[in-house]
Amino acid sequence: MVRDVTLGQYFPAKSVIHRLDPRVKVILTFLFIVFVFVAQNFAALLLMIALEVCVMASSGVPVKQYFKSLKAVLFIVIFTGILNLFYGSGEPLVTLFGFMQITWNGIQNAIFIAIRIMSLILFSAVLTFTTTPTELTDALERIMKPLKVLHVRVHEIAMMMTIALRFVPTLLEETDKIMSAQKARGADLESGGLMQRIKALIPILIPLFVSSFRRAYDLAMAMECRCYHGGEGRTKMKQLHMAARDGWAVAISVAVCALVIVLNVLMPAIL
Amino acid sequence: MAFIQTKDLKFTYDDVEDGEAGKVHEVLKGVNLDIQKGEFVALLGHNGSGKSTIAKMFNAMLLPAGGKVYVEGMDTLDESLVYEIRRRVGLVLQNPDNQLVASIVEEDVAFGPENLGIAPEEIRRRVDDALKAVEMYDYRLNAPYKLSGGQKQRIAIAGIIAMQPECIVLDEPTAMLDPRGREEVLRTIHKLNREKGITIVLITHYMDEAVQAGRVVVMDDGQILLQGTPKEVFSHVELLKQHKLDVPQATELIYRLRASGYPLPECVLNEEDCVAALERILKAPVGR
Repeated sequence: MVRDVTLGQYFPAKSVIHRLDPRVKVILTFLFIVFVFVAQNFAALLLMIALEVCVMASSGVPVKQYFKSLKAVLFIVIFTGILNLFYGSGEPLVTLFGFMQITWNGIQNAIFIAIRIMSLILFSAVLTFTTTPTELTDALERIMKPLKVLHVRVHEIAMMMTIALRFVPTLLEETDKIMSAQKARGADLESGGLMQRIKALIPILIPLFVSSFRRAYDLAMAMECRCYHGGEGRTKMKQLHMAARDGWAVAISVAVCALVIVLNVLMPAIL
Repeated sequence: MAFIQTKDLKFTYDDVEDGEAGKVHEVLKGVNLDIQKGEFVALLGHNGSGKSTIAKMFNAMLLPAGGKVYVEGMDTLDESLVYEIRRRVGLVLQNPDNQLVASIVEEDVAFGPENLGIAPEEIRRRVDDALKAVEMYDYRLNAPYKLSGGQKQRIAIAGIIAMQPECIVLDEPTAMLDPRGREEVLRTIHKLNREKGITIVLITHYMDEAVQAGRVVVMDDGQILLQGTPKEVFSHVELLKQHKLDVPQATELIYRLRASGYPLPECVLNEEDCVAALERILKAPVGR
C-alpha cells in the first residue's frame, strides 16, 4: 500500500531535455521561474508560455503527466484567482452583496495570476520529470560550491539529501511492516475521530524512530569502513560535462528572457 | 609476517546496564591471532563470544583496550594510518539495507573509491570490475531497494572490492538472508578468495559455512577455544558441546553412531562424506 509511492517524479525517456546537464536545467528552471514573475503583461507572459510549451513538447513526457501535476495545485490556482477577482480597480462590472466588486481589471488580474502559478508549476515539473534525484542533488552540490566561502557545508547538505533519498523507500517498506505487525496485534488504525487516529499512529512511529536510529548507526559505521571522511579530497565517478546542446539551451533561454524585458518596456503592465 | 596480527588483544566496555558505573565487562581477554595473506578464515562463536568485536578491531573501527592489532605491520592505534588500514581491510556488516549509501547500485559501489580520491576514469573501471566480480553488473543502474537480500549483500561486497582491499572481513553477512541469498554470498566470497587472492575473514554462527573455510577459529568468552582446519576443529565434538556450540549435522550423526560402536571414519564434515560412510557400513556383509 505505502510502497506504491513513487520516489520523486522522474519520468525516464531519452529526450534532449533529459540529456541536458542537470546544472543547466536547475539554473534555467530558476531563471524561468523568476521571469514568469518579471513578465508584466500578457505579451511577455505569452512568450514565456510559448517557451514552456516548446520545452514540454521536447521533453518526451506525456502531456497527461503535466496535467496531473497541475491538478495538485488546482485549488491554489482557483483560490488566488477568485481572490484577485475582487481586488481590481476601476469601473465595477458586477457588484455582489453590495461590497464585492468585480471589475474588468480584476478579471484580467485573476487570469494573469492563475497563468503565472500554473506556468511556475509546469516549469518545475519539467525539471523533476526529466532529472533523476541523484542528478538533482549532484547538480545542487556543484551549483552551491561557491557558498563554501561563506562556510556553508555544501558537501554535507548534498550527502544528507542523497541518504534521505536512498532511505525513503526503505523506511516506507518498514512503516508498512510495522503497521501490519500492529494490526495483527489488534491495533485499530482506521476508525475513530482525528485525535484517535493520530493517537493510533504513536505505536507505529515509535518503533520506526527507534529502528531509524539503529539504521543511522549502522550506516555511519559502514560509511566509515569505506573511508568516508567528509568532502575533503573526495572525487566523483560521474563527471558532469557541458555539451553543445547545453550552450544552445542557455542561448535560447537568455534570448527569450531578454525579449520578455523588451516586451515589458514596450507594453503597459497589467498589475 | 602475518597480514593481520593481534597480540594479547583485550577489549572492555563499561557495564551500564546494572546502573553501577565502573563495572567493567571484558569482551576480549587477550587474543593472539595471526591471519596470513590469502587465507580463508572462519571465526565461530555464539553471541557474546567477542567475535563481532574482534572483527571491528581488524579495521580500526574499535581500538584495543589492551594489546595490539597490526595490519601489514601497521598499528591500528596510530591515528594517521586509519585510512590506510581501512583501505586494506574492508568490513561487510550483517544488515545489507543499512550499508548502502546511494540510490543507484553503481553509485553506491563508487562511494568507497570516491572517498579515496581516485580519478573518475579509474573509479569507473573499478566499479565495473567489482560489479562483474560479484555478478551484479547487469543491475548496475537499478535502485538497491528493488533487489533481494542476497543481491544487496553482494552489492555491499562490491562496494568494498572497489577499494581494492587485501582482506575482507564479513560480520555475519548471511544472518539476515534466505537460503538462496546465503548460497549466493558464500559462492561470491569463495570466488574472490580463490580468484583474486583476497584474504577472507568470515564471522558466522553457521557451522556449514565454517566447514568450507581453510581454517576455523572458535571463540568462546573472549578467548580462542580452538583453531585449525575444519577437520581438526570439528573432531572435538565433546569440547564444542561443552561450550554449547554446534557441530555440523553430518558430523554429529557420525559422532553419535561411532559412540554406539559402529565402525565409521573419525571426522565427517559434509553430507556427501556422511552418505558415503553410511553406505559402506550398510552394504557391508553382516557378520554373525
